[in-house]
Amino acid sequence: MKRSTWGSEATLAISMVIIVVPIVWLVVTAFNSPRKIISRSFEFSMSNFARLFEPGSVVGAQILNSVVIAVAATVVTMVVAALAGYSLSSLGWSKLVTGILLGLSALIQLIPPMTLVPGLYVVLQQLGMLNSLGGLIILNVLFNLPFATLMLKVYFDALPPAIRESGLVDGASEARIFWSLILPLVKPGLAAVGIYVLIMAWNEFLFGLTMTSGGARAPITVGIAALVQPQEITYGPMAAVGALTVVPIIILAIVANRQIVAGLTGGAVKG
Amino acid sequence: MRAARRLGGFRFWSIVPFLAVTLIFGVYPFLRVIQMAFGSVNLRGGGMTFEFRGLQNFERAFSDELFRHSVVISFVFVVASTVLSVVFGTALAILTDRATKLQNLARNVLVWPAIIAPVVVSVLWVLILNPQIGVLNTILEAMGAPEQGWLGDGVGAMAAIIAVDVWHWTPLVYLLVYSALKSIDSEVLEASSVDGANRSQTTWHIVIPMLRPALIAATALRVVMGVKVFDEMYLLTRGGPGDSTTIISLLIRGIVFDSVDLGYGSAVSLVTIALVVILALLIVGARALLKRRTS
Repeated sequence: MKRSTWGSEATLAISMVIIVVPIVWLVVTAFNSPRKIISRSFEFSMSNFARLFEPGSVVGAQILNSVVIAVAATVVTMVVAALAGYSLSSLGWSKLVTGILLGLSALIQLIPPMTLVPGLYVVLQQLGMLNSLGGLIILNVLFNLPFATLMLKVYFDALPPAIRESGLVDGASEARIFWSLILPLVKPGLAAVGIYVLIMAWNEFLFGLTMTSGGARAPITVGIAALVQPQEITYGPMAAVGALTVVPIIILAIVANRQIVAGLTGGAVKG
Repeated sequence: MRAARRLGGFRFWSIVPFLAVTLIFGVYPFLRVIQMAFGSVNLRGGGMTFEFRGLQNFERAFSDELFRHSVVISFVFVVASTVLSVVFGTALAILTDRATKLQNLARNVLVWPAIIAPVVVSVLWVLILNPQIGVLNTILEAMGAPEQGWLGDGVGAMAAIIAVDVWHWTPLVYLLVYSALKSIDSEVLEASSVDGANRSQTTWHIVIPMLRPALIAATALRVVMGVKVFDEMYLLTRGGPGDSTTIISLLIRGIVFDSVDLGYGSAVSLVTIALVVILALLIVGARALLKRRTS
């Protein structure tokens, strides 16, 4: 089966160049001086980063917002999804109940989020959650919950029922069985889904844009968008903040490649 | 107390948070969209007033040239970006499987765009497509080709957002197809080579048919993603020049937040949801048909 593979290798190499060059270009532009960006030459400079964090800048607050939103949304999503996934998988709900809940989840996943925005806007306004981290956290939970629940249900389905039964025989409560017996067994699944939700919440833009009025209340994705202005030339800071958000996520990808692959692919194949 | 301990308590409470989130923040806003679609909404001084107007918003939606235009634009975008990313993703997966030296590196690097925020992907491509500072025009210049305005003309802008979307999401198709490829039994492939099939024959007649479930899943996923797309277009083109890249989500955003017309925005949303559901039923139906034919 030993065959020459140079054609495949060459095509892959070109593809990797097409993937990597734009990312490298972003990082290079971030470290270029504003004047040199315009004249298409290079001079190392940190001034773009300095401008991001100068006094009065909201970038720091926005990064913090994004961290809070992403972490809180992930934790809440995982807790709610693990409970619901286990409940639907093992606690004997009827086919009808399971079907309705999963159908509801599928529908939420299917429709463009923008179509719900008029309703979400009015509801958040009623609840006083417009322009707040709480509002953005709950919307991130809402749109990640269906996928996370479905995925975790699949992991719970794969566990033998004998585990739960042995716990019941030993006199443990359902909550105790879930916490001490079941959850440790699905740790890889929790990690994969958790990392996926974390990335989705960190990358979220639409709700940040429509449910906040920008500035210090908005996540960093909205902050980046504010730098993309047709009139004012802000290429340097734009590249700098882009580089700041892209580098951590790529490091995460290299470190947690396996979990990310499982998270990205699992749901689609099962669905 | 005893009943709660037996099953009722945990069984009930484990599903309640899910229901609470989905009903309060999913179903209820959806009902509000339905309500608002039948009237005009006024948001002033933090309060909201609603006036029933019957089917007026829907009549307007069905006669709205711009809405029809954006459905067409969205359709073109979805078809083009889905087809291109599925073809490229599948090709890359098969090539990675054949490669020896670059296999591991490719498996890692080719995934990167899929995890980068759409907003950052837009920034990245603004820097490349920009006529003043963009590296693409520098390259074109070096090759003696004329510089392009890219995002400045209708067809160029459409091509650009499709290209950006394909760059962003081909990796996801690649992942799906590659993991399906890895689960194909190698004995099947060896049997085919023993029977004298060459590599491209094996790929066309054995591998691709075996990948069909993954290809269907990837296509369905890409169609759904294409329908939901918003971020890149909002940042790269804002729907322009003119209305040449006004996909549906951009149109709705404009109606709701620029014209502050929640009633009409809701009606357009509902018609869009109906279109998506019909599309989904068609996909599910086609899938069921294919399944019946293969089994």
